[in-house]
Amino acid sequence: MILQIIIGIAIGLIFGYALQRTGVTKYPRVTGMLLLKDFKILKFMLTAVTFSMIGFYTLGSLGVIELHPKPLDWGKVVGGLIFGIGMGLLGYCPGTLIARIGEAKKDAWVGLLGMVLGILFFAVNVKFFKTTLMTKNINGDISVVLGINQWVIVPIAALVFIGIIYLANKVDDFKKNF
Amino acid sequence: MKLKPTTQNGEWHWLTGGIVVSLLSIATYVLFEKLSYKDYPFGITAGIAYIAANFKYLFSSLAQNPVIQNNLTSPAAFVEFFMLFGIIIGAYLGAKQSKNYKPEVIPAIWEKYHGPNVWKRFAVVLVGGFCLGLGTMLAVGCTTGNILQGWAHLSLGSMVAGACFFIAGIIVAKILYPKTGGR
Repeated sequence: MILQIIIGIAIGLIFGYALQRTGVTKYPRVTGMLLLKDFKILKFMLTAVTFSMIGFYTLGSLGVIELHPKPLDWGKVVGGLIFGIGMGLLGYCPGTLIARIGEAKKDAWVGLLGMVLGILFFAVNVKFFKTTLMTKNINGDISVVLGINQWVIVPIAALVFIGIIYLANKVDDFKKNF
Repeated sequence: MKLKPTTQNGEWHWLTGGIVVSLLSIATYVLFEKLSYKDYPFGITAGIAYIAANFKYLFSSLAQNPVIQNNLTSPAAFVEFFMLFGIIIGAYLGAKQSKNYKPEVIPAIWEKYHGPNVWKRFAVVLVGGFCLGLGTMLAVGCTTGNILQGWAHLSLGSMVAGACFFIAGIIVAKILYPKTGGR
């Protein structure tokens, strides 16, 4: 119990600090990215994704961890779109929303309340969602779906991510707040 | 491409931030797996769902709900609940240290385009938060779970979910700030 609390706070502390220091918690950054005007978050995110991908697949191959790719169902599409609407309206995603509370941005508390209500709405209607959107799913393991060895896919994915970072960086060379 | 650890405005370079978060993400995943919290690799949602689950003490009809029960008994949700406190403290320390700690009720740019009305912003934020909460439950993960973790696992579901986050987000942002559409 105490261990869980300490682990939780320690992980969160590093995450919140890194998010804040990188500047990805800023409202103009999140909205600026959605307006395709400021790609710092995208570059930050894809850097993290690329490094962790190599880490996860290496550790997975060594048998240290087991990867759990998330399967594809309609919930991913519908939920993803609803989430995107929320992100656009709010200008934060859940992680940055929580970080904004630490930065004393009062509207983040209202966002948290909204999230709790949204989760409760899901919980109350869970039967409906589970029987409609979240029924049939496709295996999430992309190397199984495509039938290609994961060590062929990982370098390709890394190159795609790095390519996007490179392009975003080209666009991003001048500073703009909308 | 400048590869300095910090940029002129005192922020970390995106490369620095990205590497720190990737190391944290991997370490958290390994740790959770060793503690056998299999279903919840590094995320935010479960922690907020843990708060939502405690509403069963207010509304007794929620007590039998499978989602509520699941989040109250899952050790990962408990850990992620305390992660929220960590994030709040971490962001506070980061803001203080970089002399960026500026309390505000609504974002300055919002005020510039949509006026200083606090309730208007709060209403939009409440609806936005509701969408985030519902969407994250349907898509089984938020930006942290589906992109930072899901894309790194090359999960088909997360790829689609993440793409949908951006498609809808871009459309809504363009509607909210139509005048900034052209450069």
